[in-house]
Amino acid sequence: MIAALVVALLVATGASLALGAVKVPIGEVLDTILGRGGSGPNHQIVAALRLPRTVEALAVGAALGVAGAVLQGALANPLASPDVIGVTGGAGFGAILILIAFPASVALVPVAALCFGLLAAALVFGFAWSGRNRGSTGKIVLAGIAMLSLFTAATTGLLASFPERAPSALFFIAGGLTNAGWEGLETTWPYFAAGGLLAAFLIRPLDRLALGDDVAASLGSRPQLIRLGAGVSAALLAAAAAAIAGLLGFLGLVVPHVVRMAGGTSSQAFVVPASALGGAALLAGADTLARTVRAPLELPVGPFMVLLGVPVFLWLLRKAV
Amino acid sequence: MGLLEARGVEVTIDGAEILRGADLDLAAGELVAIVGPNGAGKSTLVRAVSGLRRPSAGAVHWSGRELRRMRGRELARARAFVPQRMPVPAGVSVREAVTIGRSALLRPLGRMTRADRAGVDGALARAGVTGFAERALATLSGGELQRVQIAIGLAQEAPVLIADEPTSQLDLGAAVDVAGLLRELADDGLAVLLVVHDLALAAAVADRVVVVHAGRTEAAGHPAEVLTPERLGRIWHADARLTAEGGRTALHVAWVASR
Repeated sequence: MIAALVVALLVATGASLALGAVKVPIGEVLDTILGRGGSGPNHQIVAALRLPRTVEALAVGAALGVAGAVLQGALANPLASPDVIGVTGGAGFGAILILIAFPASVALVPVAALCFGLLAAALVFGFAWSGRNRGSTGKIVLAGIAMLSLFTAATTGLLASFPERAPSALFFIAGGLTNAGWEGLETTWPYFAAGGLLAAFLIRPLDRLALGDDVAASLGSRPQLIRLGAGVSAALLAAAAAAIAGLLGFLGLVVPHVVRMAGGTSSQAFVVPASALGGAALLAGADTLARTVRAPLELPVGPFMVLLGVPVFLWLLRKAV
Repeated sequence: MGLLEARGVEVTIDGAEILRGADLDLAAGELVAIVGPNGAGKSTLVRAVSGLRRPSAGAVHWSGRELRRMRGRELARARAFVPQRMPVPAGVSVREAVTIGRSALLRPLGRMTRADRAGVDGALARAGVTGFAERALATLSGGELQRVQIAIGLAQEAPVLIADEPTSQLDLGAAVDVAGLLRELADDGLAVLLVVHDLALAAAVADRVVVVHAGRTEAAGHPAEVLTPERLGRIWHADARLTAEGGRTALHVAWVASR
């Protein structure tokens, strides 16, 4: 299963680098990546446009897959995704705030998305960790849904107040990748790295948590600390992903379910790495399709991926026990 | 020195005093049953000494080490806590679940060694679940699942196993089975702490019973000496008498008051 995902990842990566408005032979792609010279226009396209975009797709896809997997594990809730801890709502508000209120500072969109995404998650965990029954799953989910509603309402309010500027925000809401080079990753890579590293350390504690809080505590883990760690990891990953690619929430919800259904196990040692591979392959593949089916026109990958993904997901759901 | 020594343990939950002063001792090879009416604080007591709930007062020592100072792997090596019924994650097999139990002994990101895999096999065998080790947890009966939970605890290789009402959701045969397993484990040298409602079961398998009433441990000793008709009447408000004969026990209860 992991081997199949690796193959899918390699195929999607190759296609993403080779295909587009201009088709580049795979030999030339390899020459460029391996630094074996080349200076023609194809080399330029691959090195300056396709490679950063492909790496972004892989990073964002893997990040959202892992964010969904650790949250679903930590909250023992199949509906958990970065939406549920407020990250998506906060990131959306941050980006739209810049696009609508400070359109001259468009370069700040990723930073604002990142900051507001993390702020929303911090508020959710702050409220969930206060008062009685602190750190319980129910409190986290309810605080998250409340924060999501708050930020979504604020975003909608902004859009409604400045309808003439709303079109510039649509691309961010739909979610998609751009040809902006390495800029996005240069600011966000520490967040991807920190979130991913934390997720790797959480795999075993999350497996313990799946046997219940009491068994996890018997095994020397602290259930509330595991949930907090998962929330921080998912917030870092999802906020960094939103900063680069807008709101692609569907991926974080669905990918972990698909790998669980296809792999037949909910063991985190499988689900977390498989969600990273699956999410990366899915987004790189979907982005390639979105760029090529109506080339040179680019379809927004967010809605495109949902339209193609939902029927597949529902088909898998029918077969699942 | 005993494995567990708890003195004057108090627990307050949301301002309510659940435990007002409980003492508990446990030695290797001993099976101690904790009994008492609903709400007396039995489960709170074992959760407090296990480190699952922070006591508001009192002292708990595991092999001389203070519970407050114990964390992570050290705590996992001191005692295993088996809850009444754990959630069952989809697609996880018995062997995988017991392997998760064994992971308590590993460093973060540390890998399972050959000794760890042997430890998993040993825990499966001691709990008598080797025969269905490859089955998914979701396919097991209540009694089988309880044995698997005990196997997860055994994989921690702690000298103490604490089981919180392991038999209360089981039918008679499964309860006999689990009680027998716990007695065998104690005979092999493990210290077992058992929270149980069934007084006849407690009297049959326990070396000592500890009676918890209104947040205090009010008596401890041999079952026949502690579970007297007077105490059954005063604490459980039941007209009942315990009899024991050749490993068989019975509780004779006046279910309906004679008129």
